[in-house]
Amino acid sequence: MKIKEIVKILDAEVLTGELYLDIEIEEFAVCDLLSDVLALSKDRFLLLTGLTTQQVVRTAEIAGGIGVVFVRGKTPEPGAIGMARSHHIPLLMTPMSTFDACRTIVEAINKKEK
Amino acid sequence: MTILHSKEKLTLASELIYEIKVKDAMTRDVIYFSQDSTFREIQSSLKKHRISGAPILDEKKNIIGMVSIDNVITALDEGYVNEKVKDYMSRDIITIPQNYSLVSAIKKFEKYKFGRLPVTKNTRTDKIAGILTMGDILNCLLVSIQTIAEKVEKKEDQNTLLSDKMIGQDKKKRLQFEVKKADFDNAGQVASMIRNYLQKLNIEKQILRRVAIVCYEAEMNISIHSLGGHITVEVEETKIEIIATDYGPGIPDIEEAMRPGYTTASEQIRALGFGAGMGLPNIKRCADYLELESSMETGTILKAIIHVEGLGG
Repeated sequence: MKIKEIVKILDAEVLTGELYLDIEIEEFAVCDLLSDVLALSKDRFLLLTGLTTQQVVRTAEIAGGIGVVFVRGKTPEPGAIGMARSHHIPLLMTPMSTFDACRTIVEAINKKEK
Repeated sequence: MTILHSKEKLTLASELIYEIKVKDAMTRDVIYFSQDSTFREIQSSLKKHRISGAPILDEKKNIIGMVSIDNVITALDEGYVNEKVKDYMSRDIITIPQNYSLVSAIKKFEKYKFGRLPVTKNTRTDKIAGILTMGDILNCLLVSIQTIAEKVEKKEDQNTLLSDKMIGQDKKKRLQFEVKKADFDNAGQVASMIRNYLQKLNIEKQILRRVAIVCYEAEMNISIHSLGGHITVEVEETKIEIIATDYGPGIPDIEEAMRPGYTTASEQIRALGFGAGMGLPNIKRCADYLELESSMETGTILKAIIHVEGLGG
């Protein structure tokens, strides 16, 4: 699934990184603790999180993430946007809760596999 | 315009509106009229400049009144549009000194419901310094937020360039980076530079990830728990070696520190999303070999090795 499909199904706003929405997502990760992001065993993941600090983008970058989705319409710190711009990581913001966002993604994946 | 009464958390915005002064947000190039201007002249000037009001100044640039598009409409309506403004303008003017914060300005806008506030040089004079609208305030806040983002972006770009420059010379060079105590704004900067460096060496992405995570956790440990230190990375044919050294005060109980979930991090650190007690366990998981030596006198030395296959010359 591509990031731009996520934009559509999560009714998400692209905060930065319009140019990188064609990237293929290999994994999904949902974490509200930075060390949990680092404990993931795969890279090229899309991170869904309730954290909004600059460090969440830094952590995604280090761990090989390809994008970050902020849930519940939470806005990241301005520094997070600057960091994402520098590392070409798209940032999305969805009004959905973590649960609804996850359910929507899973439903979309299941539909594709059928 | 109830910015100040919003129930939402406006942490950054409220910090900024206290920090930014009226003079930083106001328009300095003021369109103004003399009291001898006619409503007709005022109407065409307002239209030309696409504004809905302006101050009336005397010869010494002191504010003596305000005129708005509403006043012009009334003049048209009641048939005195060719008369001078001095007999009709509002004279009980509300001004704001240029050194006040935007908070005071917003409060005045909310209290008096004006579209614009003439700005004075200071509290003791009516001499004009500029003019302020809610649009100016909004614009200034947006620019401030953008400046913060741009600053971070520029710094990251510079770090990437810096790590790019390290390549090209000797590939088997030892890289050394300093890590400062409690420097959370730059947290992860070293790990990010090492990651970029290794990426440019075409190192396999899973290895890259593991090295970056070891460096990041080690960097955070030095920054959070010690007085500072440094991280060195050495890329060899078959392995990548990471050594993180700090100046103390050392780990009292290494076995405890290795236990997942064990943490001594403060509330402040945890608010940043760190300090979950997973640092050393994460390093252990990512490294093929880990050695940890700590003394309460000299500090901690962490040595991690990650094997690589055929790195090529």
